[in-house]
Amino acid sequence: MSENIRKEQNSIPTGKVQRSAQFVKTGIKVGGNYVKHYSKKLFNPDLSRDGLNEENAADIYNSLSKLKGSALKVAQMLSMDKNILPAAYANQFSQSQYNAPPLSGPLIVQTFRKYYGKSPDKVFDKFDLKSSNAASIGQVHQAMLNGKKLAVKIQYPGVGEAISSDLKLVKPFAFRLLGMSEKELDIYMREVEERLLEETDYELEVRRSIEFSKACAGLEHVVFPVYYPELSSKRTITMDWLEGMHLKEYLQTNPSQEDRNKIGQALWDFYNFQEHELRAVHADPHPGNFLITPDKKLGIIDFGCIKEMPDDFYYPFFSFTEKSVLQNKEETLKAFRALEMVLPTDSPAQVEFYLRNYSEMIELFTKPYTSGVFDFSRKEFFEQIYAYGEKIARMPEFKQARGVKHFIYINRTNFGLYQILHELKASVRTDTYLPNLQKAS
Amino acid sequence: MEPKEKLQSSYINYVLLNGEQPKSVFVFARENELSEEEFYNYFGSFEGIEQAVWKDLMSLTIGEVKNQEVWPEYSAREKVLSLFFSFFELLKSKRSFAAFNLGKQRRSMGSPKVLQGLKGEFERFSTEVLQEGLESGELMDRPLLSKRYKDALWVQFGFVLNFWLKDTSAGFEKTDEAIEKGVNVTFDLFQRSPIDNLFEYGKFLAQNSGIKMPF
Repeated sequence: MSENIRKEQNSIPTGKVQRSAQFVKTGIKVGGNYVKHYSKKLFNPDLSRDGLNEENAADIYNSLSKLKGSALKVAQMLSMDKNILPAAYANQFSQSQYNAPPLSGPLIVQTFRKYYGKSPDKVFDKFDLKSSNAASIGQVHQAMLNGKKLAVKIQYPGVGEAISSDLKLVKPFAFRLLGMSEKELDIYMREVEERLLEETDYELEVRRSIEFSKACAGLEHVVFPVYYPELSSKRTITMDWLEGMHLKEYLQTNPSQEDRNKIGQALWDFYNFQEHELRAVHADPHPGNFLITPDKKLGIIDFGCIKEMPDDFYYPFFSFTEKSVLQNKEETLKAFRALEMVLPTDSPAQVEFYLRNYSEMIELFTKPYTSGVFDFSRKEFFEQIYAYGEKIARMPEFKQARGVKHFIYINRTNFGLYQILHELKASVRTDTYLPNLQKAS
Repeated sequence: MEPKEKLQSSYINYVLLNGEQPKSVFVFARENELSEEEFYNYFGSFEGIEQAVWKDLMSLTIGEVKNQEVWPEYSAREKVLSLFFSFFELLKSKRSFAAFNLGKQRRSMGSPKVLQGLKGEFERFSTEVLQEGLESGELMDRPLLSKRYKDALWVQFGFVLNFWLKDTSAGFEKTDEAIEKGVNVTFDLFQRSPIDNLFEYGKFLAQNSGIKMPF
């Protein structure tokens, strides 16, 4: 475990275990802060919670900075460091709060009674009270009904309410630790809170899962479990049990290049189809949300986090995938203004500066789009990105947060996708689902 | 409905609608078409009814949890958790009464008088479950202390009850959390813990190295 933590410095931890090692530590520290706080309070009843909140925020931030892997470097490059941080921060926070021990059997029975009116063994033919997997804010159980193997996801009680109240409590300290004003970060923070809260709404997740799996049904080599809304509730989701391996395990089986490419292509198609055809995307490309099935298909098992893209973001953002746009200074500037990467208050010199730097990095970042076929195993591409990110992180001009709020999740999604493809060492055709830049008006 | 149950529910209705106890047993009995004497066949006083409401709820819960198919497979910890969850689930239907009834109890040391009957039921249940746990080795048998385990559970129960009365979360989810976390902590203490090992180590050192323990 300790080895894993050390490794985190140069690669973003991807395995659940690896990531949670970091989170567990934070959890313990945060727990410790509470103990410390209450023992102090025994002697001084007037002690306010401020000190406690600050200590918590500090500990969370510390462990977060350990996670600062390549993803954050790229974020810096996009000068999004400061707007991606709250997302990471919030995630970190909710995870450290909820790396709870597995729910007890009686609590699961209780949850079922509350939402189904009967115990789990009455709802299903067979229900395993021991959970088989942990999900970020819940756990997964295996069940059988009419000879079918099912997966039942159960949410930890109280998560939803805790997320908003905790975020509110720690927010001011987080801002201070990140060294920026609350006002500046508020719109990003709200965006994050919105997404996090959506993740706790299981009824919404079932509706979306069904919608998305239907819309994506035509994609090759991508499979979705069947969802059962009648067996789901506010706190539970029932779906088919998908057999398969997580990415890490799959890679250990030494798959052939052909298979890697196939999975990689499926992944690329899945994301680009959503972004360009549905204008809404599964915004959590975490390796734990995918399975490689025994017949070498990509199984998608979690639709908790969906980011919708409004037109006024989509068109300027993806216009950069067309080479001609970046060569045309006027067009580029128009798009930058629309995305608030260049602000109306900027001086001509500043406009020139941001124009040059953003163009440069976008050209780098959109390389896969402009290449037709792109080999993600190439280390140079990622090294180039990181190097550029470091250079920019040192520039004082990029201290301020810039860009509309939609960047947070879309950047996370696209870069997450690049990262997984890199791990897969896949070479994919990037022209399968191209951006639709003709406005339908 | 049995006359006894009828009296109970009619009493609950009365206090909830009027916010106070009936003027006298006579008036209350008359409203229920009974003579005062007949009333005393069932209960000794209004407090007696209140106690019975709580006690019956607990016996009902105990009967219900023991009837579950998974019951024999549950560990002592899970049995207690199950009792807590089910009790507060059932208590939901009587929340207003519980709030009224416990609210008017004067704050004092020890448990409110109305809960006396319930406490008996609860202790019988915990003693039985704890005994099983001690026998199976799930819980640590400590001299003197293990006899007090049931008191710890009772304190836990009182805590959750107070928590629940103040809980405003939807579906009382926070109470579920409080139960899950609280009972687990209590049982962690009942189990073999580092303290036991530390104690044994101290004992070992005292016996074998001639060190005089400061206590």
